[in-house]
Amino acid sequence: MTLSRREVLKAQAIVAASAAAGITAPAAAQSIITEREKTELTWSKAPCRFCGTGCSVMVATKDDRVVATHGDAEAEVNKGLNCVKGYFLSKIMYGADRLTKPLLRKRDGVFHKEGEFEEVSWDEAFDVMAEKFKTTLREKGPKAVGMFGSGQWTVWEGYAASKLYKAGFRSNNIDPNARHCMASAVAGFIRTFGIDEPMGCYDDFEHADAFVLWGSNMAEMHPILWTRLTDRRLSAPHVKVAVLSTYRNRCYDLADLELTFTPQTDLAILNAIQRHIIKSGKVNTDFVDKHTTFKRGNPNIGYGLRPEHPLEQSAANAAKAGGAEDMTFEEYEVFLEDYTFEYASELSGVPVSRLEELAEIYADPKIKVMSLWTMGVNQHTRGVWVNNMIYNAHLLTGKISEPGNSPFSLTGQPSACGTAREVGTFAHRLPADLVVANPEHRKTAEGIWKLPEGTVPDWVGAHAVLQNRKLKDGEINAYWIQVNNNLQAAPNMLQETYPGYRNPENFIVVSDAYPTVTAQAADLVLPTAMWVEKEGAYGNAERRTQFWHELVPAPGEAKSDLWQLMEFSKRFTTDEVWPEEILAAAPDYRGKTLFDVLFANGQVDAFPISETKDHPNHESGHFGFYAQKGLFEEYARFGRGHGHDLAPFDAYHEARGLRWPVVDGKETKWRYREGHDPYVTPGAGIEFYGKPDGKAFIFALPYEPPAESPNDEFPFWLVTGRVLEHWHSGSMTDRVPELHKAYPNAVVYMHPEDAAELGLHRGSAIKISSRRGDMLSRVETRGRNRVPRGLIFIPWFDANQLVNKLTLDATDPISKQTDFKKCACKVEAA
Amino acid sequence: MWGLIKRLWAAMLKPSVHYSLGFLTLGGFICGILFWGGFNTALELTNTEAFCTGCHEMRTNVYADLQQTVHFTNASGVRAKCSDCHVPHEWTDKIARKIAASKEVWGKIFGTIDTREKFEEHRLEMAQREWARFEANDSLECRNCHSFTAMDFSQQSPRAADAHERILGAGEATCIECHKGIAHTLPRMTSKQSKALDLPADDVKESEITLLRAYLAEQRVFSIKSHF
Amino acid sequence: MRNLSFKLLIVVFLAATGLAAAQTANISTLRQTDPTVDDLPPPMRPVEDTNVREPRNYPEQPPLIPHDIEGYELSANFNKCLSCHARAATGRSQAPMVSVTHYIDRHGQVLASVSPRRYFCNQCHIPQRPDEPLVTNTFIDIDTLLSMPKE
Repeated sequence: MTLSRREVLKAQAIVAASAAAGITAPAAAQSIITEREKTELTWSKAPCRFCGTGCSVMVATKDDRVVATHGDAEAEVNKGLNCVKGYFLSKIMYGADRLTKPLLRKRDGVFHKEGEFEEVSWDEAFDVMAEKFKTTLREKGPKAVGMFGSGQWTVWEGYAASKLYKAGFRSNNIDPNARHCMASAVAGFIRTFGIDEPMGCYDDFEHADAFVLWGSNMAEMHPILWTRLTDRRLSAPHVKVAVLSTYRNRCYDLADLELTFTPQTDLAILNAIQRHIIKSGKVNTDFVDKHTTFKRGNPNIGYGLRPEHPLEQSAANAAKAGGAEDMTFEEYEVFLEDYTFEYASELSGVPVSRLEELAEIYADPKIKVMSLWTMGVNQHTRGVWVNNMIYNAHLLTGKISEPGNSPFSLTGQPSACGTAREVGTFAHRLPADLVVANPEHRKTAEGIWKLPEGTVPDWVGAHAVLQNRKLKDGEINAYWIQVNNNLQAAPNMLQETYPGYRNPENFIVVSDAYPTVTAQAADLVLPTAMWVEKEGAYGNAERRTQFWHELVPAPGEAKSDLWQLMEFSKRFTTDEVWPEEILAAAPDYRGKTLFDVLFANGQVDAFPISETKDHPNHESGHFGFYAQKGLFEEYARFGRGHGHDLAPFDAYHEARGLRWPVVDGKETKWRYREGHDPYVTPGAGIEFYGKPDGKAFIFALPYEPPAESPNDEFPFWLVTGRVLEHWHSGSMTDRVPELHKAYPNAVVYMHPEDAAELGLHRGSAIKISSRRGDMLSRVETRGRNRVPRGLIFIPWFDANQLVNKLTLDATDPISKQTDFKKCACKVEAA
Repeated sequence: MWGLIKRLWAAMLKPSVHYSLGFLTLGGFICGILFWGGFNTALELTNTEAFCTGCHEMRTNVYADLQQTVHFTNASGVRAKCSDCHVPHEWTDKIARKIAASKEVWGKIFGTIDTREKFEEHRLEMAQREWARFEANDSLECRNCHSFTAMDFSQQSPRAADAHERILGAGEATCIECHKGIAHTLPRMTSKQSKALDLPADDVKESEITLLRAYLAEQRVFSIKSHF
Repeated sequence: MRNLSFKLLIVVFLAATGLAAAQTANISTLRQTDPTVDDLPPPMRPVEDTNVREPRNYPEQPPLIPHDIEGYELSANFNKCLSCHARAATGRSQAPMVSVTHYIDRHGQVLASVSPRRYFCNQCHIPQRPDEPLVTNTFIDIDTLLSMPKE
């Protein structure tokens, strides 16, 4: 491409004008353009790039640029609405600092861990990367390679990554960042119902008489679901909203019942509710007898810290955290005896009268109740327990799997369900709820993948926090991070994350659209196509799978994660990465590349490129077949006929998403209930078919203290979280000027009397310290969050205020999900 | 003993017989100051933030509200305390307000608003009493600090300058009409308002509540006293 | 090649932002310092408080709030925004009226007043602080795009 000097100057002038205006340079002197040919825009559907709500948006393109976006009026999820982030989707791809070429740390022309970033070709990037992975695999085996993926991967990207690692490299060290956000919900579902994901759907919002928020600031984090809840609450005066949180947030603006509780005491509140249901004779005995089994969960399970930590040493059941034994209803009643309202009130600080009112919402058979939760419950060292205990309340009363009666776990990422969970990109999972530890499940996977028996390893890989520990300890040496910003997101950054990235033994690869702090800490950075620069599929929190087409080209040499995964697989042959015993038993596989055995296997490459029709598709164009369709159809074989049925590929490009199981072209709104769910045995009425006997578990679980509580030296609870205007680490939203200007810097929400006592003012510069590190910020005593005395809240979106320098890497011992909601810190003037 | 009482009684009946006029004038003056000072000191004590927030009803509800507002912290560090807005500065009105406040003592003793729920139940009634007072005295307690004649429009935001010049200046509205909720959370008003509009609360259909809410906002219903 | 003007822009931007330069020690743009070294965050500044409207990036974008809304009650109790932006209030307030789209419910029915699902204005409309963006955004609005040179 050659440009005349005049052309360059002209373009430069326009761009300078645009940049100076911050947004646009209106066609100043020109009168309105009316020619149809020019003004016609191409509108296409796509799910929103942000949270797990899964709003559909309409995207306008012109001349290979996105020029407008708005809420999709035809989408059931959002019916034309978007939140402020969604309305600014048009700008998320256009940060001036988009990565357009691979960057490798080099010194004297070759890779050097302490070198400076230099632009390299894709070939050079993959050469160096493949060499590092091969050396690691050869010298230390599959347990020394790892990958950290995301609930923002498209369905096929997660599937391809999982296949490349679990079958190609034969390493289960692959985990998504959904571990930070959904793992407790997953374990809660599996433990209680034996099958992942909610039984209900968003239609419950229009049917419920009461909403109970258990640690979810929906007003900011799931704004469109909040519009549905608000619509119901304000339209129907009898509807009640109860909000439980450790501080006052925007949800309280609609609350009829406010329950601000001391961190960790939700466990006691839930037990008090179950006790009330039983004592007041409100147990749905028929339902409980037919459809539930009582279990006593193992207590004293530790806090997921490093094994040498004193808290783990003293935890009797740290090694069998998920264990449980049978018990009877009568024994359960005895177990609950201590959890009076008075006891729960004393622990939680919530007045008895409000606890009673809350319990009555569940106990009263006439009230249809929807329980909602997100990170307040999941990011909790007893997060799985809290999930289980919310189900207890719904199961004891039979308020489940019907319109309006719905325990509903919300998700934070656009495809936490669709990719991380359903595809099974966790270190212990395979697609459709299969697990690597089960030999039958591995066999199923190997069968569908047309791979030799024994290809998928039987060991559970390292989860998110363990990956960081292993990187630090030099046990994982070749590591690939896609679609996430884990240096900013992971707990205890200074002690457990950063050391692993900069460990001289390790080679860290980061694929991202933008140069994040994680990219900064990496050795190789791969420029990545995002959102509508590729064809994609996401699955939202109500089991709805949604597709979109590639609409605009990615800048420079940026390529999708899928392209990167598949292209990288070409650099390995089975002889290099598979052991001799597998190859000896399956000699046909000798000498083939991983691309051949994983992707050119007659299934993934089954659909011709001509089927991509009118839409560009940079991966398929490169590989010569319709890769997305092939991957999806192969993946769908795992779930069809097994309760996870997905519709045919093409159907999703037409529909505004469909909720699985999709059987005979019909989606399922309420699972486990006859008449709604085709998998329920006729005549059963209700059937929790995830369990062999069709019965869900009601767990007896105690209150146990948190891993760390405030003391004289560190007198404040530290709670971290998000704000409406920014999504997660802000790598997209902080590049949208309007969103940045709305919330430019993180601040520390603090009670005005705590601030006054410390001699601090609103706006004062402060240093916040924990046992693990410190950070600088400023005091906010007003605004959207009103914290109780002795607690501070800090959002984590700000790359300049890395709050995870303070957080503790304690996890739920069952789900391995970090507790980002409670540790101890101190505050002083900076 | 009896003699002493008789002497004092006589002195009180005809003090000038027993004491010089100067002494009496001066003494009376001093006593007056002592009494008046004591009275006022006591009165002023009931005007302090510490006194007002001595009750948890005030501390956990309205004082917590106030701490989030511009009347508590602001650029210049001038703080309005409870009495600045809720106790008239002019003497007779102040005494009248203090007498009226005896009702609050009654309320305190009987725990009328001793829980958050009870407070919220009464918030509307209490707010309306204050709004009515402000409307009746042309927002006098606002104007004790914020005088219209002292406003510099060039220092105000364009919106504020416009509203003050057009509406406040023309006497079309008094401060409180636009600034309700400036220092405290507003009460929940729906049910009372529906009654006021002769819509029995039970008969309100689902969407009507919302219609009503927007209607009331549109009508600036807060200044329509007859509706309460 | 799909479109010359698009490529032109990319080239210009690469040159302008210096990413095309051969070597860079620090690639992180939102954060200027090493992850282990903190700078003091800039002072908190009040939101812009004007009556000047920002043009929208596209017609479907919710307008930004040009003024301060601190302390404005927006709860089930009361919606302070509507006390100026409700249809009937705009005469006195001279504020823009809430758009007609706000009267439409989930089912496409036009109601007599603002739909309750639009009750919490601050889910879509946000005020702005004077802080400058940390990186330039190269979004090009449709009018500019249509007037750009083409091959």
